[in-house]
Amino acid sequence: MYLNIFLYGILLMTFSMVVSKRITALINSFGLQSFFLFLFTLCLAINQHHVELYVVAALLFFLKVILIPRFLRNIVSRIKVNENLGLFLNPLLSLISALGLIYLAYLFTRRIMPVDSFEGCSLIISLSVTLIGMFIMIFRQKALTQIIGLLVMENGLFLAAASVSGGMPFFVEIAIFFDVFVCVIILGVFVYKINTLFTHIDVDKLTELKG
Amino acid sequence: MEIILIIGTILLLILSSLTVKGYRRCSIINAVGHFLILILAFKLVAKIINSGIPVQCWGIFYADALSGVFIITISVINFASAMYSIGYLPQDIKEGHIKEKKAKVYYFLFNMFALSMFLVPMLNNLGFVWVAIEMTTLVSAFLVGFYNKKTSIEAAWKYIIICSVGISLALFGIILFYYAVSRQGGINTLNWIDMITVAGKLDPNIVKVAFIFVLIGYGTKAGLAPMHTWLPDAHSQAPAPISALLSGVLLKTALYAILRFFIITNNCLGSQFASNLLTIFGLLSLAVAAGFILVQKDIKRLLAYSSVEHIGIISLGIGFGGIIGLFGALLHIFNHAVTKSLMFFGVGNIVKKYGTNNLNAIRGVISTMPFTGIIILLGVFALAGSVPFSIFISELIILISGFTKGAYFAAAAALILISVIFAALVNHFSGVLFGKNMTNMPKTNETLSTKVSLLFLSVFVVVFGFVIPNFFFKLFHCAIGVIKGSI
Repeated sequence: MYLNIFLYGILLMTFSMVVSKRITALINSFGLQSFFLFLFTLCLAINQHHVELYVVAALLFFLKVILIPRFLRNIVSRIKVNENLGLFLNPLLSLISALGLIYLAYLFTRRIMPVDSFEGCSLIISLSVTLIGMFIMIFRQKALTQIIGLLVMENGLFLAAASVSGGMPFFVEIAIFFDVFVCVIILGVFVYKINTLFTHIDVDKLTELKG
Repeated sequence: MEIILIIGTILLLILSSLTVKGYRRCSIINAVGHFLILILAFKLVAKIINSGIPVQCWGIFYADALSGVFIITISVINFASAMYSIGYLPQDIKEGHIKEKKAKVYYFLFNMFALSMFLVPMLNNLGFVWVAIEMTTLVSAFLVGFYNKKTSIEAAWKYIIICSVGISLALFGIILFYYAVSRQGGINTLNWIDMITVAGKLDPNIVKVAFIFVLIGYGTKAGLAPMHTWLPDAHSQAPAPISALLSGVLLKTALYAILRFFIITNNCLGSQFASNLLTIFGLLSLAVAAGFILVQKDIKRLLAYSSVEHIGIISLGIGFGGIIGLFGALLHIFNHAVTKSLMFFGVGNIVKKYGTNNLNAIRGVISTMPFTGIIILLGVFALAGSVPFSIFISELIILISGFTKGAYFAAAAALILISVIFAALVNHFSGVLFGKNMTNMPKTNETLSTKVSLLFLSVFVVVFGFVIPNFFFKLFHCAIGVIKGSI
């Protein structure tokens, strides 16, 4: 019951990211999505009495709900970037594309497992979140949104791992977490570098290398 | 035991890059350290192929003959690159591209990069292999953006973003594999030894989609077309010794991960499905590379696209399959690494001397830099697949396996594309080497360390053209055993 509510909460936040026009809104939605993911994992941990899952949930809370959003907000305020995201597709079209992606995920999942089970349902949602994360990376102009898109993809993958197979082996999970965190920090460093060298962070203007 | 020693040596090198004063001393220590690692790697692999059983350590590390192929390749290229760096970095400092302090950062990153690459073929858990591959991206992004110029930062950004997305898709594939293993196999593990024992029981539908995700994901990192778009940018903007590492071994580590899942998929589905996919991607890579090589104007991008070509040839070899095809593919992995690194080193010297990457502006290398010129002349023919050199042998083996297996169309198309690339490469480089130099450039001599690294690699290029040493023959033989599932 609760699991389903949190699952749809994750999907809802993904939609709100697709339609948001400002970076701060995007970061807030990402934080909320991670929070739902945290609640979802916590529920799983309580249901299955896994000590390891508690640890994973705690890590999720500290990294993705608190640290990473704070870090991203910090970047936004430090480089005084233009708040507008610069959409290649307007919110309505983006929303329609997102619905298309969800249908794609549904078609895909139908091939490999029954879709009316809890597992099938969460695989559809996790795959759609992953695909929509990719969509955000491609159709938004700012370098920061690419980082957030990547994080959304990782959230989708995490959901898949947690719900479909009851969590990956513990140390692998920890290692992946660590990797994601390091990746975000490094990307943040590069955003600073891009900002100082180019005086903007619009990735669609990074076109010097061709051919 | 050797595994621990190799890892330990690299950790010591990382430590030394932080503590030792002066980058010159650092560079010497680095080269000596990597020579030591080279010896250890050969000892480790000799142990594996002589005893016929994989080396394991603490349940974390695992190395069989297939890992051996990659460990040898990585250690050879790492040593050559460490050697070449001794002469290369001082020039960068003299020309003001980097400060003296940053040279030490270079050695720190170099060894972190080496560590992450060595971990890939040595780890037992395929989830950890994923982490190690992501680590190679993160570390090498700093090396790609090392010069802190606009172009290099742009290349680094694209590199890290595209590869991270790709590798996320691979993770999705791994999760699906894990799901299948835990459901149908009944064990909750990603350990290679356990996964391979239950591979036959997995649900074919899940394995199919999982393998496609893994292939697309790791294929991005391996530089298979059409996911190769980061590759020419990153290879052309990195410092020359790093370009050699990127193209020689970084791409191969991703290929290693694909091979592991390829084996599981084959055990489950039979060899047809995965082989066909690899053949298609291989041909596509060859075609894309041929087009871009024909019209290329930038000398380092030319070599980068040539990497796409060779990765295509390797995956064709794996796709054709059979003992002959796999032998060709494994041999080609080593040959390409050695030859391409040789070319990147040579071209690195040229770019330093002429101060430009433009193919049309570089003329008459053979008279201005005789040593590098001769090496490049040898390298171009070797790279293009001309007769007495190593790549000719492996390409020939791969094509023969294609024709004997009845894949006439694929093999014929590959043959035509390879000939086109041959002509384009020779055409481009004949101008570079023998064209008339208008400005009166003085002759230069390379430093001793540069010469040593170039000669070290060219020995492999020439010797493998005539005879494959017994050690390597046995190594490839055992590795094929691993892929075929007889060990």
